[in-house]
Amino acid sequence: MGGYGDVQMIDENGKRMDGRGPADLREISIETGVVPVADGSCRMIWGTNEAIVSVYGPMEAHPRKIQRQDSAVLAVEYNMAPFSTTDRMRPGFNRRSKEISKVTKDALESVVLLELYPRSKIQVNIEIISAEAGTRCVGLTAASVALADAGIPMTDLVVSVASGKINDIVVCDLNKEEDNYGEADLPMGILPNTGELVFLQMDGNLSQEEFKQAWDYNMNAASEVHSIMKKALTGGDSQ
Amino acid sequence: MSVPLVPKLLRAHLTELAENNRRLDERGQWDSRNLEIEHSVLPRAEGSAKVRIGDTIVYAGVKFQIMTPYEDRPNQGGLMCSAEVRPLAGRKYEPGPPSAESIELGRVVDRGIRESGCIDVDSLCIIPGEKAWQVILDLFAISDDGNLFDAFAIAGIVALKEATIPAERFEVGKDSKLEVTGTPIMCSYHKVGGRFVYDASFREELGGDERIHITLGDNGNVHSLQKGLKGIFTADEFEEIMGHALERTKQISKIINSL
Repeated sequence: MGGYGDVQMIDENGKRMDGRGPADLREISIETGVVPVADGSCRMIWGTNEAIVSVYGPMEAHPRKIQRQDSAVLAVEYNMAPFSTTDRMRPGFNRRSKEISKVTKDALESVVLLELYPRSKIQVNIEIISAEAGTRCVGLTAASVALADAGIPMTDLVVSVASGKINDIVVCDLNKEEDNYGEADLPMGILPNTGELVFLQMDGNLSQEEFKQAWDYNMNAASEVHSIMKKALTGGDSQ
Repeated sequence: MSVPLVPKLLRAHLTELAENNRRLDERGQWDSRNLEIEHSVLPRAEGSAKVRIGDTIVYAGVKFQIMTPYEDRPNQGGLMCSAEVRPLAGRKYEPGPPSAESIELGRVVDRGIRESGCIDVDSLCIIPGEKAWQVILDLFAISDDGNLFDAFAIAGIVALKEATIPAERFEVGKDSKLEVTGTPIMCSYHKVGGRFVYDASFREELGGDERIHITLGDNGNVHSLQKGLKGIFTADEFEEIMGHALERTKQISKIINSL
């Protein structure tokens, strides 16, 4: 969190710098089948975020020591391409990417019916091609679409959205400028059919009321994103 | 598409096809798959391109950094080229540090571009001995269905050709186009079933032997060569390949320069 509260990001009418109201999402589009050699794949554009996800498997898990007798193993790799950020992102080991890979894996393991594929492996690769703000949400959401595109059984899709606070006002889906000056960030991973959660992080400073507001924004936004995901999976490209 | 468990069977099949002058996808020996080139596709890169050859898809992105010139070359900037093939692009790729294969990929593409002299490193100097631009070309695979080398090389030169030096962001003057004089193009050939073919697919690579990469510049000048993998080839075979590369690089160069 930048914490520079003196920059005015919201005008007196509650309009944000990019013209959105507090509860509005950036523009989202999803396309499946973008990695022809993969078993399932998806490109998700969210504002100027762009993620490409490929799914391979279920396939043989090797080395054999990683195999589980009663379920498949799910491997998740989140990575930012070197040209995805304003200053070049140096390839190689990165603690942030490792953590996001892990929490994304934890979220997806909660919905994928891994017990159907003992001793096998499902590999999910999330590449951020262009980063704005909220890439972990884009990555997780896109990963669930790619898993569905690969025909892997799941109890539900996962919709991940974040809300935050700028100039003491709670808003949904922070863009890059807002994120730089943001005072809080609350990303959630929501199962749209039940409203249950599989992913939750937060940093910053929110009062109980503000927290409740951010939570509600995320819940409402999730159903909006869900309809775009369903459209992409049933009728080819979505808007 | 899955990796065949018995490449020996695939090899036998490819040999049989080659004897009848056929290929897996019914292409001729010197035919390429469909080539699509787009540029300005990455919002955060200063120059970018997306190349699709059949089901092989790659991106190239150009970024700039300010470097201190090397002591023995105070008036020169730098060019760096790196290739990454992450698990996204195919089931055979593992996460972790770059493999020998992807390092080779990056270095072969790098040599072709560098040695063609299409980037004038003297023009990248900002303050002699103190500040110069380092051009970083990142090659990134989305989908590997064979012949990443040619896809990377084409994407790389297209991205460089449309790159803008972000001088305003670094507060060292006005933004300007990166000067690129020349269009080095790579052509790759794989020995499949005992004969060389152009633009091998993933399965042809899998069941094939050695590969040869040729980068030619404008006027057909040779800028880089690389022989990879186990295998023996004759001078006659090489001459035939070089003849094809001369024609094909001209065609691709024409496409790129009309973008």
